[in-house]
Amino acid sequence: MEIWSLPFSPSQRAKLLSAGYTYLHSFSHLSPSALAAGAQTAWDILCEDRTMNHITTSCEDLDGILGGGISCKEITEVGGVPGIGKTQLGIQLAVNVQIPVEYGGLGGKAIYVDTEGSFMVERAFQIAESCIQDIMDKVLQTDDVGVCQENLHVNAILANIFYFRICSYTEQIAVVNYLEKFISAQKDVKIIIIDSVTFHFRQDFDDLALRTRVLSALAQKMMKLAKKFNLAVVLLNQVTTKCTDGSFQLTLALGESWSHACTNRIILYWKGNERCAYLDKSPSLPLSAAPFSVTTKGIRSVASSCKRMRTT
Amino acid sequence: MSSYALEQEGEETLNPIPLTLISFQKCTLGCPILDSFFNGGIPCGSITELVSESSCGKTQLSLQLLLCSLLPRSHGGLNSTSLYIFSEPPFPFRRLKTLSATFKHPNPSPSFDPCDHILVHGVQTSEELLEFLDRVETLISQPLIRPVKLVVLDSVAALFRSEFDNHLADLSRRSSLFFKIASKLKALASKFEVAIVVTNQVVDSVGLEGLNEVQVGNYSCLFSSGRKVCPALGLSWANCVNSRVFLSRDEEKVADNKMWGSNSQALSENGGFEDGYGDFRTRTRRKMQVVFAPHLPKFSCEFEIRRDGVFGVKP
Repeated sequence: MEIWSLPFSPSQRAKLLSAGYTYLHSFSHLSPSALAAGAQTAWDILCEDRTMNHITTSCEDLDGILGGGISCKEITEVGGVPGIGKTQLGIQLAVNVQIPVEYGGLGGKAIYVDTEGSFMVERAFQIAESCIQDIMDKVLQTDDVGVCQENLHVNAILANIFYFRICSYTEQIAVVNYLEKFISAQKDVKIIIIDSVTFHFRQDFDDLALRTRVLSALAQKMMKLAKKFNLAVVLLNQVTTKCTDGSFQLTLALGESWSHACTNRIILYWKGNERCAYLDKSPSLPLSAAPFSVTTKGIRSVASSCKRMRTT
Repeated sequence: MSSYALEQEGEETLNPIPLTLISFQKCTLGCPILDSFFNGGIPCGSITELVSESSCGKTQLSLQLLLCSLLPRSHGGLNSTSLYIFSEPPFPFRRLKTLSATFKHPNPSPSFDPCDHILVHGVQTSEELLEFLDRVETLISQPLIRPVKLVVLDSVAALFRSEFDNHLADLSRRSSLFFKIASKLKALASKFEVAIVVTNQVVDSVGLEGLNEVQVGNYSCLFSSGRKVCPALGLSWANCVNSRVFLSRDEEKVADNKMWGSNSQALSENGGFEDGYGDFRTRTRRKMQVVFAPHLPKFSCEFEIRRDGVFGVKP
């Protein structure tokens, strides 16, 4: 029996035809989930979520509020005032993603798209050295020191960070479009960091609607990359002031519509003399804050001795 | 260095830049104490901002950098011509002459004059600056014996002080100009591995809720000459620079040692301790602090301005 003669609504009929079913017997034996190609049951998604990978930030408190670290398959936006540590967090994640699987990491590579010129190689060198040192300290407790020393080397870590320096918003769009091809060729990339996604979009856009369209296209592409290659996307953002009812409030740049684009949002801010991170948006975790510090070794927890002083 | 590369077929591809090839170069400041404060010197490829109130030493330090960039790489310099863009005429020529008289180049040729290698240009508005920056690219890409590797803009605040009101539309137009200028400067910095230094002024921090109260960088308040100040041009401009260093000065009352030793009875009779003009002298103490920088921790360093330049003071 042809589909034309069956009592389907026009839109359903069109969908069946475009999926390739012209006769009733071609799909009458299919289960609903098979017919809805690509759909997953909630149970499947829950099982997948349980095995989801996280990239540690090297700060236990921050990892705690993030459910283990920055999640793969999701876009995480990190925003804050200048000097709070966004670039430091970006570099730390680019190094931490490379921690081998046997030491609790993902053993992957990183793509770092630098739009501002804040990436300093000497700092990445320092952070990579400290990361290796931390792993060695943990490993000293077992006997695998020799193997560890051979495999981990600062230059290897730096070589696994694919660094793109871009100087205009057109270059930024071009890089994002190119990444799919690049990652298919590389195969091991587990994190993409854009530092910062905002800088080139804060000038020259008289037509804000165009800017919103361009940015949402960018966000969609990044989401597609995250899901397809099972990697984490971290977008660093700046803050600006918003005028509401005559008073000025601090808010992340790029507007209201951009704030919907990311899965998770972390805001870094100063609390007195201490740096804090606030999980401002998350589909599954409670909104909470955690202190962190930026040391010569990179991002670390606030020293535990300080914690003891504060509680007494 | 740019990620773009033109392949032979004429197709543009994007290639990541190997981190080992990125320039580590820094320009010395001419003083080992200041160099260690800056972890080697002013880095190429990014914008370093020097913020202070007037007469703190920004221009001095900038002029010193112009000369130091002439030094060969072996002495921490960039072996380069430098470009000084000034927005507050006149150009401090006399001070530059004084500094260059004491400047010692390790291998000077017989007719070597440091001032031959310093290019100078004045701008008065932000539009002029943007137009000039377009021309600068052509200048820098020319093959000179000593290519331009240092650009100093002194100061960026002067370009914006008068032509904008406090209306919202003007503020957003001003903010857009900041990003345009910063974007052009950063493009120069990264494409030609140039060190960019920008100087900025301060405004008093009034203590009202609002823009001035956001903590930007390592210090919640910055003080100079006993007043609470914050860098001019606000949060937008703070997002545009890579590193910010704050220079400050304070008048410190120091007991005049000559009076203490002898004739202490005369002192107490005079009772001069409250106002103290007779018994104390004031000394200017100058300090520089890292407000934020991707590669520097929260350092501060005392410095002094002498006839032969700006030098750090050992703690």
